[in-house]
Amino acid sequence: MKYEFLDSGLLARLGSIPLETRVPMLGNVAGKHRSPHRGSSVEFAEYRKYVPGDDTRRLDWKAFARSDRFYIKEFEADTNLRAYFVLDASGSMKFHGQGESKIAYANRIAASLSYLLVNQGDAAGLSVCTDKLHLEVPPSRRPAHLQYIFDTIGKLEPSGDTGLVPALHTIAEKIGQRAFVVILSDLFTDPQAFSDALQHLRYRKHDICVFHLMDPQELGFEFDRPHRFVDMEDGTSLVVEPTLIADEYHRALRDFLTTVKAKCHDAAADYQLVPTNTPLEPLLRDFLTARLPKKGHT
Amino acid sequence: MSFLQPLLLWGLLAAAIPIIIHLLNRRRHKTVMWAAMQFLLKATRESRGKKRLRHILILTCRALGIAALATAAARPLLSNVLGWGSGKPDLVVLLLDRSASMEATPKNGTVPRRELALERVKSALADLEGTRLVLIDSASSQPQDVPSPDVLTSISSTAATDTAADLSTLASRAAEFLSETPGRAEVWIASDMQAASWQPQNDRWTSVRAALSSLPEKPKVRVLSLGGEASPNQAIRLLSSRRAGAQLVLDIDITRNDDAATPVNLPLTATLNGVRSTSNVTLAGQNFRFRKTLPIPANEDSGYGWLSIPGDGNLRDNVAFFAYGPARQVKSLLIAPPGEAADYLAIAAAPGGHHGQTVERLDPAQLARLDTEGVAAIFWAAPLPTGQVAESMVRFLTEGGQVLFFAPQADSDASFAAMKWSPVTQSEEGKYFILDSWDHDDGLLRDGLDGSPVPADRLKAVKRRLPDGEGTTLARWDDGRPFLSRRVFDRGTAWFISSMPDYTWSNLADADVLLPVSQRLVIEGAQRFDTGYLATIGSRSSQPRAGEGRLRLDDYGAPVPSNEAYEAGIHRFGERTMALNRPAAEDDLELLEQDTTKSLFEGLDATFFEDHSTTTRANGSQPLWQAFLVAMLFLLLAEAILCLPKKNSASASPLPGRPTNA
Repeated sequence: MKYEFLDSGLLARLGSIPLETRVPMLGNVAGKHRSPHRGSSVEFAEYRKYVPGDDTRRLDWKAFARSDRFYIKEFEADTNLRAYFVLDASGSMKFHGQGESKIAYANRIAASLSYLLVNQGDAAGLSVCTDKLHLEVPPSRRPAHLQYIFDTIGKLEPSGDTGLVPALHTIAEKIGQRAFVVILSDLFTDPQAFSDALQHLRYRKHDICVFHLMDPQELGFEFDRPHRFVDMEDGTSLVVEPTLIADEYHRALRDFLTTVKAKCHDAAADYQLVPTNTPLEPLLRDFLTARLPKKGHT
Repeated sequence: MSFLQPLLLWGLLAAAIPIIIHLLNRRRHKTVMWAAMQFLLKATRESRGKKRLRHILILTCRALGIAALATAAARPLLSNVLGWGSGKPDLVVLLLDRSASMEATPKNGTVPRRELALERVKSALADLEGTRLVLIDSASSQPQDVPSPDVLTSISSTAATDTAADLSTLASRAAEFLSETPGRAEVWIASDMQAASWQPQNDRWTSVRAALSSLPEKPKVRVLSLGGEASPNQAIRLLSSRRAGAQLVLDIDITRNDDAATPVNLPLTATLNGVRSTSNVTLAGQNFRFRKTLPIPANEDSGYGWLSIPGDGNLRDNVAFFAYGPARQVKSLLIAPPGEAADYLAIAAAPGGHHGQTVERLDPAQLARLDTEGVAAIFWAAPLPTGQVAESMVRFLTEGGQVLFFAPQADSDASFAAMKWSPVTQSEEGKYFILDSWDHDDGLLRDGLDGSPVPADRLKAVKRRLPDGEGTTLARWDDGRPFLSRRVFDRGTAWFISSMPDYTWSNLADADVLLPVSQRLVIEGAQRFDTGYLATIGSRSSQPRAGEGRLRLDDYGAPVPSNEAYEAGIHRFGERTMALNRPAAEDDLELLEQDTTKSLFEGLDATFFEDHSTTTRANGSQPLWQAFLVAMLFLLLAEAILCLPKKNSASASPLPGRPTNA
C-alpha cells in the first residue's frame, strides 16, 4: 500500500464490523444508519392517526378492520453518515518518546476509520487544525475522495500552538446536518474551553468521539537526572530535576485526565485515552464493537 | 573552641563539594523537546514548598556532614579560655589579679575567684602542649616562668594576698616583656573586673595599647572576667586608730555587698594583746561607720590587736589590724597676736586638756622660735609665713602635719603654697555673708561618723578675707566665694579659712563650727604619730627599712610564710611594730563596665569571657571530636532518611501507559 499509515491487513480484518453512530443521522441518501425521519425501511417505527393529506397507500387496513379507525403505519428511515475527523496538528502532536509520534498514531486512526466509513457507503471528511491553519476536506462518499484525505494526512507537518477549540466551534457552526465528529488530539488546551466546544457540538446534535492521544513518556515522566524541557509549541524551556517534581507532575496529569474525561462525559462524547504504544487493531476493534447496537435495542 | 590541628580546618572547604556537584549536575542536563509543558509548569510551581525544602535539607545535611568530619579531624577542644579563638600560641603571659577582692566567692559557690581563674587557665593550658607560660601577678608585678600549668595552683606567686591590683601596670609589664620575647604570644588577664583594680581613666592604658600594637606580632588579649554575682559579704576596715590616754580609739567602717535594706546583727570580735572580747554591731545600711574604744591595760604601754567579723563571702576582708605605742601628748601650736581670736582658738585647740591635748601660743613676732617637733597641728592667725619660716612650714606639712590658716587682721602681700589673702571685704549694711554650701563627705566640715552634719549654716560674717590661689574649695559663702580651701602636700594639708574667730568679723568663735574644725585638725595631725603603727599593704611604709627584718606577730587566719610580705597582719620590722591592712580600694564594690573594658583594648584583638561558674570542675577543656563524629553520623543518617523514596499514596490510581509496581 502506498500510504504507510494504512495497514491493509488491519482494514481487511475490521471491514466486517460496521461503524455505527449513537444518534440518528440526517442523510441525503439511503444508508445503514438510523434517521430521525420516518421512511421506507423494513423497520417498524410507530402508528399514528391519519390526517387528511396523508398518502392513503400507507393506511394500515388491518388496523382499520380491527378498530374502525384510520392509522398510518410508519417505518424507520435509514440514511447515510457524514463523519468529520478533526486532527490536532499542533506542535505538541509531534512528540514521541520511544515509539511513534502522536500525530502518526492519529493519522493511522483517521485514515483507517475513513477507509472503513467510505467502504460502508458513508461520507468521510477531514479537518486539520493548528493556531494558524484550519484545513478542511469536506466529507464525501466517493472512494476516490479517500485518496484526497490520505494525501492531506500524509503531508501533515505539526507545528505551532493548538487551534482545536476554535476549529471545533467552526465545525459546529458549519455542519448543517448531524454528523459523526471524531477528535484526535492530545487535548493540551484549556479544559473548560474544550468543554464549551464539545457542548457546542452536542447542541448541534453531533455524535462526538474523542481519541485522547498521550505518549507513554508523558504519562510516565520517568527521568532520573536534570533535564531541560523545551516546549514544542512555543519554544520556552525549563530546567528541572524530574525526581523532585515527579509526584506533582503525576498529580497534575491525573487531575487533567479526570477533568477532560468528565467534560467529555458531560457532553455525551465517547472518550478514549489512548497511549500511543497501544496496538491499533484491538483499539479500533473495541471502538467499533462498542458502538454496535445492543441486542434487543432498536 | 580551639583546635589542636587547625590546619585541617581547611577541610571545611570540602563542605562545598555536595553543593558544587549539585550545581554541576544542574548544568549537565539533557535537553528534551516536551509537549506536556503545562503539567511541568504546574508541578514546578507546586514543588517549591516542601520538596524544595527537603532537597535543601538533604544538601545541608551532606555539607554539614562533611564539615563535621573536617572539624573532628582538626581535633576541637572545648575550653572556656581557649574557646574564644583558635590556634596555638608560643607564649602565654598570664596577668593574675591576686588582690584581696579576688578572694570573694561567687554566689552559691565556695571557691574564691582567684582559684576559679587559675583552674580555668590550668585546664586551658593543659591542651597547649609546648606553650610557654609566663606569670605576672599583681602582688609582685614581676614576670615569672611557670614550668607547667599543673603547678599554677600550688606556687606561692598565685596564692591569696591582701594587696591591691593595678591591671594597667601589669599590662605595661606584659608589653615590656613581650617586646623582648619574640614569637606568637597571647596575654591572658584573669580579674574580678573591680574598677579600682583596672583604673580605666589611668593614662597608662594608652601607652599599653601603643606598646602592644607596636609589637612585631600583635598579641591576642583574652580577658577572663570572673565578675558575676558575689556571695553575701561584709568587709571591715579601720579608718583610723589613735591612742587617747588609756584608751584606744578605733574608727571602723563595715561595708555590705548584699541587700542593704535588711538590718544585720554582726558579732564584732576585738582581740587586744591576745585578749578577746565580742560585741554585737547592727548594720542598717550598706555602709556603716562607727567608733570603738578599747581600754588599754595598765601595764601594756604598747601592743597590737585586730577587729574581726565572722567568715563570709570573702575571708580576706573580715579583719582589720591595729597597733599602738606609748601615750604621747597631742600638742598644737597657735600663731596669733594676743587678742580675742587667739583666746578662742586656744580653747578650741585644747579644750580643758581634752585627751591630753595642749596648745602653745606663739606671737607672730616670735616666729624665729618656731619649733614644729612633736606638733600635731598649727593654728595660724597671722600673715602668711615667708622665708625660712615658710620652708619650715612646708617641711612640717610634708611630714604629715596639719596647718589651719585664718584670715589675718593685718593686710599682707605674702603668699604661701601659691595662696595669698585678698583685701578685707565688708558685707552690706544690715546684711551678712552666710556659709551656704560645703562638702559633707570630705574636709574639716565633713559629716560625722554617724552622719550628722556640722551646723556650718549658722556661720555669719560681716568681714572676710578670701583665700586666692590654687587651693581646692571645700566650702563657699552664699555669693559663691570660698570659705574653706585646701592645699595638699605630700602627707599633710594646709587649710585656709576666710574668717576669724573674732566677733567683729563673724560668729566663728561660736563652738558650732570652730570646735569640730579645730579638733579634726588636731586629730588628723596627731595621726601622723599614730600612723607610725598603721600601714597599707603595698605602700612604701609597709616595707621594712634597710637593715630591718620582717616577722609576723599575729596568728590570725593561716599565714603563709613565703607570702607574708603580701598578707595583712601585725608585722615587726626590727624594733618597730606595724599593723598592715589591705588597701581601702579593695572594698570598693564598683565593677568595670564591659564597654569600658573593650575600650581599654581598642585596636587590639581582644576577646572577653565572662565566667559565672562556681566550681573548679565546670567548663574544663574537653575534647570534642567525638561529638562532631556523632553529629556527622546523625547528619548522614538524616540525609539517608530524607533521600528515601516517598510511598505512593494508595488513593492515587495508576496512569494508563505507566508501569506499576504490582
